Amino acid sequence: MKGAELVLQVLQQHGVETIFGYPGGAIMPIYDALYQSTVKHYLCRHEQGGAFSAIGFARASGKVGVCMATSGPGATNLITSLADAMLDSVPVVAITGQVPQAVMGSDAFQEIDVLGLSLAVTKHSFMVRSVEELEATLNQAFAIAKSGRPGPVLVDIPKDVQLAEIDYQPLASHTQKAVSVPTSLANAAKARALIAAAKKPMAYIGGGVHMAGAMPQLQQFLADNPMPSVTTLKAMGSVAKDNTHYMGMLGMHGTQAANLAVQQCDLLICLGARFDDRVTGNLQKFAPHAKVIHVDIDPAEINKVRFADAALLGDMKQILPAISASTNCDEWLAHCATLKQQHGWRYDHPGERIYAPLMLKQLSERMPDNSVVCCDVGQHQMWVAQHMRFSSPRNHLSSGGLGTMGFGLPAAIGAKLARPQDTVITVSGDGSFMMNVQELATIKRFRLPVKIVIVDNQRLGMVKQWQQLFFNERYSETDLSDNPDFVALAAAFAIPGHCITRKDEVEGALEAMFTWPGPYLLHVCIDDKDNVWPLVPPGAANEDMMTEAKA
Amino acid sequence: MNHVLNITANNTPAVVERLLQVTRYRGYELAGLQLAPRADSRSLNITLTVSGDKPIHLLTSQLHKLYDIQQLELVSAELAVLSA
Repeated sequence: MKGAELVLQVLQQHGVETIFGYPGGAIMPIYDALYQSTVKHYLCRHEQGGAFSAIGFARASGKVGVCMATSGPGATNLITSLADAMLDSVPVVAITGQVPQAVMGSDAFQEIDVLGLSLAVTKHSFMVRSVEELEATLNQAFAIAKSGRPGPVLVDIPKDVQLAEIDYQPLASHTQKAVSVPTSLANAAKARALIAAAKKPMAYIGGGVHMAGAMPQLQQFLADNPMPSVTTLKAMGSVAKDNTHYMGMLGMHGTQAANLAVQQCDLLICLGARFDDRVTGNLQKFAPHAKVIHVDIDPAEINKVRFADAALLGDMKQILPAISASTNCDEWLAHCATLKQQHGWRYDHPGERIYAPLMLKQLSERMPDNSVVCCDVGQHQMWVAQHMRFSSPRNHLSSGGLGTMGFGLPAAIGAKLARPQDTVITVSGDGSFMMNVQELATIKRFRLPVKIVIVDNQRLGMVKQWQQLFFNERYSETDLSDNPDFVALAAAFAIPGHCITRKDEVEGALEAMFTWPGPYLLHVCIDDKDNVWPLVPPGAANEDMMTEAKA
Repeated sequence: MNHVLNITANNTPAVVERLLQVTRYRGYELAGLQLAPRADSRSLNITLTVSGDKPIHLLTSQLHKLYDIQQLELVSAELAVLSA
């Protein structure tokens, strides 16, 4: 068989049934092999969108997402999405066609040094030099993408390798052995002692917990060691909804209760998180009284930005039971409960106009159980994190580390294909939505019943908010009041939609959206003056949050 | 302050670029580089000298993650401090 056919054989051996991509000259042999393959290919309308769909697929399912592109511009269009997967530790395998080796290095048509471009945005990348190494390379790519701290892997395959013949016999059973994660419990006793001695312990939970498959161990740990907990953006939904000590998201737009409690705690138990600057605010003033226990799978995260008094590396599933110690902090729990009560969200917004936090709370309450919400980036993204509740981090897909506008719509396509039985909702902003709007064509082609909610303030809202607060109200290039008619735009892709402007229209509009069997676009107009609160201003400590009243 | 790293790496086309890219991105300057293939030509012996004000473990921990790096040994004076 040809190398191109081998690629599809190996993908199938890895259980890949769904791939996202866009054809072109240097990857034509693989698309030719695809023509008669049972692997289902979903044509995106821009390679960035295809790779985001692979990310959405991976994040919603826990499997490896796969995307393909041709050489040159096809490959460069993948770069942003690979960077997104890199910073959010998403297992993705990207396959790119490359010009034939005979002309490589000659600035051939659609030739670009993809291996060179990949260095900063992948966990690893390969250039396949012969058809004989193709199978082993693809196997390695899958192994690397999902092992340890997951991440994107790129495999660049020259056209002559795709066309080369190879005598290939698929192995009868090619089930991948589960690789055990090297785990050191050497510091477990130290961690237990720190927990037992703490008067004000706090669990700081990141995306690493659910990615390790340690959600049950986390609930058990929090039940055996009652303590307040906070989550990062990527870990929303990690703590069971009935856990009364959960305080919400921490950081720049976290809840006041979460930020105040973290600032006051005397022990911070960081589980699969990395002290990102959007979490810590002013690092020198972050949790200043706290000793730190840091549990992670990536040794490079230990002591990277915050010293760990006890560090445990490896498999979260093994480590959490091993550091369980009895906590005794009733006063602290009561104090944190009071903080939560004092700083609860308020939805009593005056006037007729729609208040996005309230609308999203209504959406959260109305959406079916186990719905997946895919966000874009900006004010609406923070409102989703603040005002919607999730039962699993796999139900809240948000571009965290890279903060990539244009993520939501294609990610929702991937999520819907990964979990066709679950409702999938994109919550986007009028700015972000336009960044991968072409993927409406993918929704149309495959009749994907994705629900699209556009929160429209006719502004590039988060940038506008910062201009208002920190740049003397000089609104440079953030006015989007000439947006297209989003309902008409959806109609051009045979997607029905509806536009609402008043609070009293929200319930009926949500009902109509969920009742409609296919894709649907709900255009929600809000006041451009509404901002995201609270906000930790740049350089400030997390207890110095700005609120609407203070601003 | 200069740090000297003795590295054994897979002899793959991009391995040196990977080392240098991580070194630059993490905020260290290249102060010296020597490399030679080992007898079997499948591995490289690399001596990488870098300078930087940040603790060197912030670089070595990232270099360790490179898939093509087999071994990495810090041979500067800070070694004793790090392993303590």
